[in-house]
Amino acid sequence: MNPILTIAAKELTDGWRDRRAVASAALYSLMGPGVVGMVSFAIHDAGRVLIAMMSVFTLVAAFVGGVNVAMDAIAGERERRSLVPLLMHPVTRRDLVLGKWLAVSAFDSAGLALNLAGFALLFRRVPSPAFAFLLPPLCFLAAALEIWISTLCRGVKEAHTYLSMLVFLPMMAGMFMVFSPVAGQGWWKFVPVAGHQLLIEAGMRGAPSDWPAIAAIGLATAIAAAMAIIAAARRLEQDDVVYGG
Amino acid sequence: MIEVRSLQKQFGAVPALRDVSFHAPDGAITGLLGANGAGKSTTLRILCGVLKPNSGKIRADGVTGGMLDHAGLYSRLTPRETLAFSGRLHRIPTSLLRARIEELIAFLGMESIADRPTGGFSQGERMKTALARALVHSPRNLLLDEPTSGLDIPSVRALRVLLRRKRDTGACIVFSSHVLEELRALCDRIVILAGGRVVAQGTPSEVCERAAAANLEDAFVALTTAPEAAA
Repeated sequence: MNPILTIAAKELTDGWRDRRAVASAALYSLMGPGVVGMVSFAIHDAGRVLIAMMSVFTLVAAFVGGVNVAMDAIAGERERRSLVPLLMHPVTRRDLVLGKWLAVSAFDSAGLALNLAGFALLFRRVPSPAFAFLLPPLCFLAAALEIWISTLCRGVKEAHTYLSMLVFLPMMAGMFMVFSPVAGQGWWKFVPVAGHQLLIEAGMRGAPSDWPAIAAIGLATAIAAAMAIIAAARRLEQDDVVYGG
Repeated sequence: MIEVRSLQKQFGAVPALRDVSFHAPDGAITGLLGANGAGKSTTLRILCGVLKPNSGKIRADGVTGGMLDHAGLYSRLTPRETLAFSGRLHRIPTSLLRARIEELIAFLGMESIADRPTGGFSQGERMKTALARALVHSPRNLLLDEPTSGLDIPSVRALRVLLRRKRDTGACIVFSSHVLEELRALCDRIVILAGGRVVAQGTPSEVCERAAAANLEDAFVALTTAPEAAA
């Protein structure tokens, strides 16, 4: 088997067996449907507000499923001193990062899917088919950022702090887009994360899919993800990753 | 066989290795002896390929395996899964790998723990798992960094037996330690490191002779506090 897939398969098994972490990530992903569900009971005729809230929760959900795995797969690997044995295998550091990134992407995607399923059940409505093209790149970017941040940290505690901060990024970007008057300007649709909020909200409103924007933001997101993966692989080339604690 | 010539390594402004040259022959256990910070771990990490030297040459015939951190296991995987993962990364064909794993489990006497997650293992069981992982691709050269630290007496003895058996198959084993007793019990050759340099090498009796000392401890003290070592 290809080394990238071997590593991805190992991380999937290992991550899945950490049932408490899986349960906490699943709960986090379902927080959106929970909160929006409560608000929808409390306020009548709140359609627009609810959709804005849903779009932000969905945006955040793309980042939460893989946090635990990203933390464990690199910073945790250093902390428990299994990184050196792993690096002794004939595997390039780029392949190592790619394998771990694939696994984290899978967990991020699962979190997002759970979130969308929650909303779909809550409102008895099938999500926009455009999401199948809009959202996977977002999960890939989230995973790449999580892996990259994890390579910068010496241990799980540090990674936990910074990865929790990373989850604020979509939250802040989403809030900003919901409340800001500049959000109407067209070019925001091409900025990863912020533009995703606009397009998710449009999809949830039932607006016709803006395919050129979905393609363009997909490309921008793929470039950003590739940069984060390259940065992570470079970081693993440095001596202090192997040396010291 | 491993041949190391003029290895140098800097970490920023700190020189870790100034000049390390030694020879570790096949069918022998070579001990790297040195105080903390002498350069043992750095040397082994370079030999394993996880660190790059600033200069110097390494010649090794055949593949190398290493056990540099025996704590480094995945707690949710079993030894069998750990070995399968490692073997796949070494690109061992599946049918061969399956047989190899069974062979290692038998060689290290791990039958009763092979399918238990390593999370609950004792230090001795962890050491065996890590050693099996280092051996999964049948390396001709085996590097071990302080393999006995934290082990209880039965585990240390078991490790010694295993290393001798591996050596008797013609393997080249390099073993680092700062415990003299351990090296005396196990090593055919000794390389003494001090301040990032090799200050002596040879059989234990050759090293004692060179330092004009009656025993290895006196030789170690004489050699590592000599002016050339302090430079």
